[in-house]
Amino acid sequence: MLHKNPHLSMRHISDEDLVRYADGELPSHRAAEVETHLKACWDCRARMEDTQSTITGFVRAHHAEFDGQLPPAAGPRALLRARLAQLDSERRVEWWKRVLQFRFALPGVAVVGLPLIALAIGILWFRHATQREWRSATALFDTGVAPNRGLTPGATREVTISEVCSVPHEQVVGGVSDSLRQKVLQEYGIANARPEDYEIDYLIAPQLGGTEDIRNLWPEPYRDYVWNARVKDALEERLHELVCSGQLDLHKAQHDIATDWIAAYKKYFHTNKPLSLSS
Amino acid sequence: MPRMDSLNELPFPPLAAAAREAEPSAIEREVIALYGQFRDPLLRYALSLDLPVHDAEEVIQEVFLSLFRHLQLRRSRAHLRGWLFRVAHNLGLKQLYVNQRSNAKTTPDWARAMEQLDPSPDPEEELLSAQRHHRLQAVVQALPENDQHCLRLRAEGLRYREIAAVLGMSLGAVSISLTRSLARLARADGR
Repeated sequence: MLHKNPHLSMRHISDEDLVRYADGELPSHRAAEVETHLKACWDCRARMEDTQSTITGFVRAHHAEFDGQLPPAAGPRALLRARLAQLDSERRVEWWKRVLQFRFALPGVAVVGLPLIALAIGILWFRHATQREWRSATALFDTGVAPNRGLTPGATREVTISEVCSVPHEQVVGGVSDSLRQKVLQEYGIANARPEDYEIDYLIAPQLGGTEDIRNLWPEPYRDYVWNARVKDALEERLHELVCSGQLDLHKAQHDIATDWIAAYKKYFHTNKPLSLSS
Repeated sequence: MPRMDSLNELPFPPLAAAAREAEPSAIEREVIALYGQFRDPLLRYALSLDLPVHDAEEVIQEVFLSLFRHLQLRRSRAHLRGWLFRVAHNLGLKQLYVNQRSNAKTTPDWARAMEQLDPSPDPEEELLSAQRHHRLQAVVQALPENDQHCLRLRAEGLRYREIAAVLGMSLGAVSISLTRSLARLARADGR
């Protein structure tokens, strides 16, 4: 690759310029000169092809060395989501602290005025929050954030670990047919539900071997409960990751999520409240 | 090359616009989208620093938590790819130092890497390409560390100015380093 013809060395392209040309890193006027020269010179064109071939060889070796070691992204991504949510909620607390500090830093008039404003806002906020709590609590008793175990005990198919782990999480979750959706809502005695109110969710997720069977489907409210569909999604990703990295038995994962998914979340995320609470 | 430039610049403006109003969940979504885009390249780079997989994965988590704080503070969104690799490089080396001190450094498992080569229908061809990979990997391992970093970063798509910023060297030094490394690889490849 590197030999030089002494008679033409002044006019041939240097190794460095060849590499920079291949990488699109030459200034445009120089790139144009190199291009013209390459058309005219077989020797430099051969060196150029050798350079390209070396790059190809290296890139393949680089991927061969590391790609097999990359674990699936779903689990780490779920963990990152949870950590981001936690960071964000900490930041909100900080923000309130700053507001309070600011209040105490103000001169006399503001010291009297601002607490009054704060009190008014506080009362409004409290009324709003209690109403929301109340709405959540009643709705929670209506349909529950946990499925009725009599109606939805969970159903699985025979799957091997490699089957479960060969497909990324996002690709297994298909939509439930309209007729099945209606059946599930009827079973739970929910009339006139709008599509945006409930997700017909798998109790045991498909990526953990759960099936599209009425015994494995339940209406999960989208509304802003603490333990909502997004929290359960995070649990599913976490369990899938644990199963696929050999840290958890598949049947144990199926059992835990079917028995009490909220307890399972607390257990596998080592927390008493959803980490994605603020998202 | 124009394709690389568009790769570098395309993804950021729409995402940046979405997050400029700085509603926190928009930043979270942006960070997760960037994670989807850059997790594998960053993880490969962290592994190339000789970190064990679980440490490398943790380093990448830290990188994106730092990115979240960076965006929350409304710091510059220019050259985010270079920024991500720079943070990964620094945190990776720090972790490596900690591991070496606690004597927990693990060497890359060649046998395992070789097993995971792309399956080829022709066993003879497979053996030849495995041998070539092995030979090239050995040459790369023997290069000065900085030259290795340059090559790996270039293989992950970074432009020279980004590599220069990650490694704290000049543009000229990057192109000299790459030229020198490619020449050595070419010799090992029998050219």
